[in-house]
Amino acid sequence: MISRVADHCFWMGRYVERAENAARVLSATHGLALDGELPAHQCWLPVLIVAGEQPAFYERFGASAAGEEEVVQDYMSWDEKNLSSLLRSVGAARENARSIRDLLSIEVWEAVNETHLWLHGQDARDEYAENRFGFYGRLRWHTELVLGLARTTMLHDQALDFVGLGVLLERAGWTARVLDVHHHALLSEGLGDRAAETGLWLAILRACSGYEPFLRHGRGQISGLAVANFLLLEPKFPRSVRYCVQGAGERLSVIRPPQRDELPGGRSLKRLLNLDAWLRQLELPRTDQSALHQVLTQVVDETAAVCNVLGEELLGQPPAAAPTVAAESAG
Amino acid sequence: MSQIAFQSSAVEIAARSVRLFDGYPFLGDTYDELLAPDGAPRPAFHRAMEVIGRKSPDEVRRCQALVDRALLSRGVTFSVYSDSRGTEKIFPFDVLPRMVSAQDWRHIRTGLEQRVRALELFLADVYTSGRIFAENRIPAEVVLASRGYLAQVGGVRPWGGVRIHVAGIDLIRDSAGTWRVLEDNLRTPSGVSYVLENRVMAKRAFPAAFDRARVHPVEDYSARLGDALRSVSPETQAPNVVLLTPGPYNSAFFEHAFLARTMGIDLVQASDLFVDDDRVWLRTTRGPAPVHVIYRRIDDAFLDPEVFRPDSLLGVRGLFRAWQKGNVALANAPGNGIADDKAVYPYVPEMIRFYLSEEPILEQVPTFLCARDDDRAFVIDHLHELVVKAVDEAGGYGMLMGPDSTAEQRDEFRQRIRADPRRYIAQKRIELSSCPTWDGNRGCLVPRRVDLRPYVVSSRSGPWVLPGGLTRVALVEGSYVVNSSQGGGSKDTWVLKV
Repeated sequence: MISRVADHCFWMGRYVERAENAARVLSATHGLALDGELPAHQCWLPVLIVAGEQPAFYERFGASAAGEEEVVQDYMSWDEKNLSSLLRSVGAARENARSIRDLLSIEVWEAVNETHLWLHGQDARDEYAENRFGFYGRLRWHTELVLGLARTTMLHDQALDFVGLGVLLERAGWTARVLDVHHHALLSEGLGDRAAETGLWLAILRACSGYEPFLRHGRGQISGLAVANFLLLEPKFPRSVRYCVQGAGERLSVIRPPQRDELPGGRSLKRLLNLDAWLRQLELPRTDQSALHQVLTQVVDETAAVCNVLGEELLGQPPAAAPTVAAESAG
Repeated sequence: MSQIAFQSSAVEIAARSVRLFDGYPFLGDTYDELLAPDGAPRPAFHRAMEVIGRKSPDEVRRCQALVDRALLSRGVTFSVYSDSRGTEKIFPFDVLPRMVSAQDWRHIRTGLEQRVRALELFLADVYTSGRIFAENRIPAEVVLASRGYLAQVGGVRPWGGVRIHVAGIDLIRDSAGTWRVLEDNLRTPSGVSYVLENRVMAKRAFPAAFDRARVHPVEDYSARLGDALRSVSPETQAPNVVLLTPGPYNSAFFEHAFLARTMGIDLVQASDLFVDDDRVWLRTTRGPAPVHVIYRRIDDAFLDPEVFRPDSLLGVRGLFRAWQKGNVALANAPGNGIADDKAVYPYVPEMIRFYLSEEPILEQVPTFLCARDDDRAFVIDHLHELVVKAVDEAGGYGMLMGPDSTAEQRDEFRQRIRADPRRYIAQKRIELSSCPTWDGNRGCLVPRRVDLRPYVVSSRSGPWVLPGGLTRVALVEGSYVVNSSQGGGSKDTWVLKV
């Protein structure tokens, strides 16, 4: 497979997953804020931190704007300068998809293209204005359709492995950051109020689509430790960090089999498998609250590092710097 | 007797189906593709026209809206160069098909095969022995002064003897209904993906009429092209064919991706390729893979910075040498620009006589070469009635439409012609044929001028003509320019079976 093409596959997966996660976090936070148990900035600032957008947001709107839900939602949904906004993520997913149009099934391409057309049309603006939950839900519906169709209508070959690798690494990072930010907020601010605290943990579960799976799994009491264990380590939950890292490792092992040392990709594979092995034997201590933060920092740093090494080893050169035009005459 | 019976049935059909075509405003002195001057459908098309004619304007409006939405959803777009944000537009598609009778098609097909054969022989001759110059059939200076001439190509004999793997030959029809070749495109002709997409749309819009018409399918184009490309591979066991694109910002990127996808080959950019020891390799996630045939959709000048433009970021260093040594096939071959140069065009009938000892089957458009003193004097005095074109431009750029021009524009062209006569040719303006076209604002059919670009694919065993082609239509009222960059659109082209 062409390295540049692998890069487009990887990033299409990441951007689709990024849009989906951002929509999920925005929707869950919207619900949490409506309960009115927490001060507004304690709801909305974590959204910016999870997306890695706090510094840029502060610079443009000031720290106090992080407590204004409409400003934050607008920034995360529509802002053209925000690389993590839904608009930009979907646009970038489509740009990558267009570059590998020849590899995608017509169904996947149409689903990506329709998402882009919808988000750029008036219908999406109207839905955003009138039915915010409906808007976030529809965006997720679109992105889930893309990923579902990729599995059911495309050849299960390296192209799909790279898409999946991008999706899983992106997802592992989001789950870890969502957990870390809120956990951090709980620790530093201390709620002391049982209802507010439970509400926050449920919002975190919802932000990761883990609410019903968590309850079904029968963890009983909703405690910080139980939620953290579930989102970080539950091997049967497809958005837990352990599940995502294991899945990513499996896909990379298909792309670059562990015993084939003559092929490029050895360093990324080793690093990813090490992270997987570490998560498999990990147990969260019951008492030491700061340990969770350290574990999550480690996860976030390591997944980022794996992506970097992967880029060097397997995904080829950076994309062409400038748009090149007029190379084929109009004839 | 049967002829009379046939005609009367056509009249009856016309009487029953007047609704949609009723009051069609014919253009003066212009051949209409679908309707005879008395307003009845042309007899060869009565099967389909009967069904289409029964549609109401509202139904046609709905059909048009349906296909517009589908084209957007499928991303059948072209990029707009001037827009830095990478805006894409759908190529306007007119829902009314253009039809070509079986009899006309036989004439076109044989004429195109003949023409492409002669052009192949001409290219091989110019780049090897130059027999046609030695026998004074074509002046060497006209050909060698072409911007498309590449001295480096001299002496190279490409694999399978093919240089024009894909040709797009533009045809028009004059007021008498005579088919004429307007120009040849022998470098990187584009548009065939729209032929295939338009067919999908036409089947959705007019399924019953399509069924009645009995139309030649076009879907096997990609398979034919793939076979032709593999037939010229230097490696015969497991030839690796790739399509080289300038990238997603190129206006024709949709087509590049479309063709790669439907041929099942890799779509590559120059940065994916490298040359080592005069062989071409593809950078993959499992190391370098050999490449044997490159269907390149970038111009000669951007192929290889070592040989052509050192400033090009698009090319592959060493690619030309790999081709010269016969380690890779390039489709189309470099240097073809001499054969589709507009100043060489008037000599194509002579090539057909010289190489094939046949009379040309297809007519051309009478052309004045400004490089010739007599022609130039005539052109300069008659600019108001001529169409002037720069020999090396395409897409409707660099041209003067004399009858519609201002005195100022004519003065400008007079100066340009005097400064560089070799660069200009002139032709009498042909009243391009019209075809009924949906006008959404008026809610009725109007005559709009069309041309036809059929595609010819040549393999080791000779040329094959796709039964169909891109009908381009000048959507602007009164316009003669069909190019998409100048407000043109397209139609599906139905070549009818016998």
